[in-house]
Amino acid sequence: MFPIIEREELAPSVHRIRVEAPLVASGVQPGQFAILIIDEKGERLPFTLSDWDREKGTVDFVFIAIGKSTGQLASMNPGDKLDHFVGPLGRPTHIEKFGNVTCIVSGYGIAAMKPVIKALKEKGNSVTTILQSPDPERIFGREELEEISDRVILATGGDAGFTDPTSLKPLQALVENHKEQPVDRILIMSSFCLMRLCCEITRPAKIPTFVHLAPLMVDGTGMCGACRCVVEGETRFACVDGPEFDGHLVESWDVLMARRCTYADELIGQQSFQCATCSQW
Amino acid sequence: MEEQKKPKKGLNLNRVDMPKQEPAVRRNNFNEVARGYTWDMALEEAGRCIQCKKRPCVEGCPVNIDIPEFIKAIQEEDLSESVRVMERKTSLPGICGRVCPQESQCEELCTLGKKGAPIAIGRLERYVADWKREQGIADMPEMAPSTGKKVAVVGSGPGGLTAASELAKLGHTVVLFEALQVAGGVLVYGIPEFRLPKEIVQGEVDFVKSLGVEVHLDTVIGINMTLDELLNSDYDAIYVGTGAGLPMFLRVPGENLNMIYSANEFLTRANLMKAYLYPDYATPLKMGRRVAVIGGGNVAMDAARCSVRLGAEEVYVVYRRSRAEMPARLEEVENAEEEEIQFHFLTNPTGFLSDGRSNVCAMECIRMELGEPDASGRRRPVPIEGSDFVMDVDTVVVALGNAPNPLVPNTTPDLEISRWGTIVCDEKGKTSKARVWAGGDIVSGGATVISAMGEAKIAAHAIHEYLIT
Ligand SMILES: Cc1cc2nc3c(=O)[nH]c(=O)nc-3n(C[C@H](O)[C@H](O)[C@H](O)COP(=O)(O)OP(=O)(O)OC[C@H]3O[C@@H](n4cnc5c(N)ncnc54)[C@H](O)[C@@H]3O)c2cc1C
Ligand SMILES: Cc1cc2nc3c(=O)[nH]c(=O)nc-3n(C[C@H](O)[C@H](O)[C@H](O)COP(=O)(O)OP(=O)(O)OC[C@H]3O[C@@H](n4cnc5c(N)ncnc54)[C@H](O)[C@@H]3O)c2cc1C
Ligand code: SF4
Ligand code: SF4
Ligand code: FES
Repeated sequence: MFPIIEREELAPSVHRIRVEAPLVASGVQPGQFAILIIDEKGERLPFTLSDWDREKGTVDFVFIAIGKSTGQLASMNPGDKLDHFVGPLGRPTHIEKFGNVTCIVSGYGIAAMKPVIKALKEKGNSVTTILQSPDPERIFGREELEEISDRVILATGGDAGFTDPTSLKPLQALVENHKEQPVDRILIMSSFCLMRLCCEITRPAKIPTFVHLAPLMVDGTGMCGACRCVVEGETRFACVDGPEFDGHLVESWDVLMARRCTYADELIGQQSFQCATCSQW
Repeated sequence: MEEQKKPKKGLNLNRVDMPKQEPAVRRNNFNEVARGYTWDMALEEAGRCIQCKKRPCVEGCPVNIDIPEFIKAIQEEDLSESVRVMERKTSLPGICGRVCPQESQCEELCTLGKKGAPIAIGRLERYVADWKREQGIADMPEMAPSTGKKVAVVGSGPGGLTAASELAKLGHTVVLFEALQVAGGVLVYGIPEFRLPKEIVQGEVDFVKSLGVEVHLDTVIGINMTLDELLNSDYDAIYVGTGAGLPMFLRVPGENLNMIYSANEFLTRANLMKAYLYPDYATPLKMGRRVAVIGGGNVAMDAARCSVRLGAEEVYVVYRRSRAEMPARLEEVENAEEEEIQFHFLTNPTGFLSDGRSNVCAMECIRMELGEPDASGRRRPVPIEGSDFVMDVDTVVVALGNAPNPLVPNTTPDLEISRWGTIVCDEKGKTSKARVWAGGDIVSGGATVISAMGEAKIAAHAIHEYLIT
C-alpha cells in the first residue's frame, strides 16, 4: 500500500498528490512516469512524476481530473492509500548541454516538465518556457516555472491580455528569429494535437524537437503493445522506448491520436479531446 | 461427443464425458466452462485404467507424474493417497489438469488411445486437486531447516511459483519479485477465468506465501533493481522466470490502426483487469461487432472466446495453416467451435484498411495451401497467388504468440542471449552468468505451464546443490 501524504488543488480540476513510494523515489529521473492503481477494482493509471524526495521516499505528480478514475483520485486525501504504485517507468528525458532550449507545456506538462527544466539548467542550458493554458483561471505553476526558467512566455485564452491563446504564435516567433537567436532544442509536453502542430512549425527550420508521447497504456513495461507508435518506420512502445521521441520522426499522428481517443467520450472535459479530426468525435 | 466403440476383452474404450456449461449459456458469462467430474464419474473413468506395467503415460508427462499410481489410488477410493502421489511431482495439479495439452502429452501415449479414447488423465488430476482444495486440507509440507541462504526469484508465473516453493521447502529464504499487481504470470493475465478460475491460482500463490516466501509485487527487475544489484546485496542466487511477454505483430500495413489489439493487451484488459466486469471494475475494453482473431494457438482461442463473451456478434479465427496444425489445446478448439466461433483456415492477413478515421474496417487476406514440412515438422503454408480477398471486421486481435521479455536480458550485459532473445542455459537451467539460473518461457521462448514448472523444479534443485556445497 502506498499512502498519500499530501493533496493540493492547484487550479480547478488540477491536483497535486504526494505519495510515499520509496522504491520509485530512489530511482526516478526527469521525464519518467509511474503507474498506480487506486483500489482492487481500479485501472492502471500512468502519471508523469513532477517532483521527488529520495530521502523521504516520496514522489509527486500533478493530474487533471478528467474522468472516472482521475475523479476518484481527486477525492482522496492524506492518509488514504493507493493499492499499487510502480515505477519509475519509461526512459528519462535526454539531458545534456544543448545551449538554448525551449520547453512548451500545457496541462499536466506544466508540472511534469519541471524536473526536466531543472536538470537542463544544471547542465548550463538557457531555458525559455512557453506555458499554454485554456484560460487565466486554469493557469497553475507559473511562479515555479518563472523561478527555474530563464524566461516564461504565457499563451492563454480568455481576455486577460496575454500574447496568444496557443503556444503556436510564440513558437513561430522563436523559429522566425532562429537565425539571429538560435534555438538548439525544443521539448514539448502537452496534448497530442499541440505537439503535432509544433513539430510542423519547427520541421522546416530543422530545430530538434522532442515530444513526450502519452498514448493509452496498460502495463507500462512493454508487454501489451497498447502504447505502440511509429517512429522512423519502426513500431515502438512509448512506455519502454519513450515517452520522449524525436517529433520529426514520429509518423502516423492521425492513427496515434485515434488510438489515444479510443475511450474518449462526452465525459472527458479535456480540451484536446475535442479536436475536429479526432476519430472519436 | 466421442465415437461409440465396442468394448473388447473387458476394456472400456469410451471416456466419461466432462460436464460443461451449455454453449448458449456460457457465451454470456465468464464462469468456468468445464464443471469437473463428479465422484461417480471420476471413479468410472479411473476404473478404465488398466495399470500398464510399462507406464507409457508417465513418459508423456513433462514432470513424470506417477499416473498409474495416482489413478490406482482413485480406484481404491483413497483420494488422500492420490494427492500424495501427485504432489511428489507437481505442486500445481489443479492448474495442469485444466490447461495441459494432454492430447499431445500424457494422454497421447496412453495404451487405451491405440484402440479408443485414452484415459482422461487431466480430468482425473483436476478432480483430485479440486477434492483436496474443497477439503481445505492445508497440510504444510516438510520444511528443511534454514540454510541461511537467500534466493531471488524473478517473475511469478508457474515457473517462478514452483521455483520459489521448492527453494523455500529446501530451507532457503526466498523473495519473489513480480512486475504486475498480482502474482501468477500468464495464469492470471492471459488465461481467462472460464478456463482457469483465478481463485485456484490465488490458492497456489497463498500456498507459496505460507511457506515463508516474501512476494514483492509492483517491482520490475531491470528497473527497480538489476540482477547485479541483487547479487551485490544479500542474495546468494537468482532464478529468472520472466516469461515470454513481448507481443508479436504481423508487420503488415495498417497494423497500428485503432481497434487492432495485441492479444496481450486484449487478454490483460479482459482477465487481469477484469474488463468483463466494467464499469464495476474501472478498466474498459472496447469491442466491435465483427472480430477477427489472428492465430491458431491457445492465445488465439482465449482471445476469440473472450470476444464472444464480451458481446461480439461474430468472431472469426483466422489461421494460416489447417485445423490439424493448430497448436491450441484440442479441448479448447472444440469448445470454441461449440461457441460458434468461425474458423478461417489457410488464410493469412496481408493488410488492414482504415474507415477514414483511423479505425480498422477491413482486413485484406490471401488464401494459403500447405507445402513441404518445415523445421517444426508442420507443413509450411504458402500463399496461393491471386487469391486475395477482403474481410469486413471492426476489431482485430493479433494472437501470434509472444517473444521473450527483454527487460532482464537488456539490463544484464553478461547474460548470454540467443538470437531469438531467449536466455541461454544448460539442461539444469544454469545461465552464463554466475549464480543465475533461468527457466520457463524466457528460456524456451514459449511452451507450456507444465514445462515451465518442470524446468523451474530442476533449476531449484540445481540452485540448492550450489548453495549447500
Ligand atoms: C506516460 C503517461 C504519462 C501521463 N502523465 C500524466 C500526468 O502527469 N498527469 C495527468 O493528469 N495525466 C497524465 N497522463 C494521462 C492520464 O493517465 C489520464 O488522464 C488518465 O488515465 C485518465 O483516466 P480517467 O479514468 O480519469 O479518465 P477516463 O475519461 O475515465 O478514461 C477512460 C480511459 O481512457 C484512458 N485515458 C484517458 N485519458 C487519457 C490520457 N490523457 N492519456 C492516456 N490515457 C488516457 C484511461 O486509461 C481510461 O482507460 C499520462 C498518460 C501517460 C500514458
Ligand atoms: C493466453 C495464453 C494461453 C495459454 N494457454 C496455455 C494452456 O492452455 N496450456 C499450457 O500449458 N500453456 C498455455 N500457455 C503458455 C503458458 O502460460 C506459459 O508457457 C507459462 O505461463 C510460462 O510460465 P513462466 O513461469 O515461464 O512465465 P509467465 O507465466 O509468462 O510469467 C512470467 C512473470 O514474470 C513477470 N515479469 C516479467 N518480467 C519481469 C521483470 N523484469 N521483473 C519482475 N517480473 C517480471 C511477468 O509479469 C509474469 O508475471 C498460454 C499462454 C498464453 C499467453
Ligand atoms: S501434468 Fe499435464 S502432462 Fe502431466 S499428467 Fe498432468 S495433465 Fe498430463
Ligand atoms: S497408459 Fe493409460 S491405461 Fe496405461 S497406466 Fe497409463 S493411464 Fe492407465
Ligand atoms: S503500455 Fe503495454 S507495452 Fe507499453
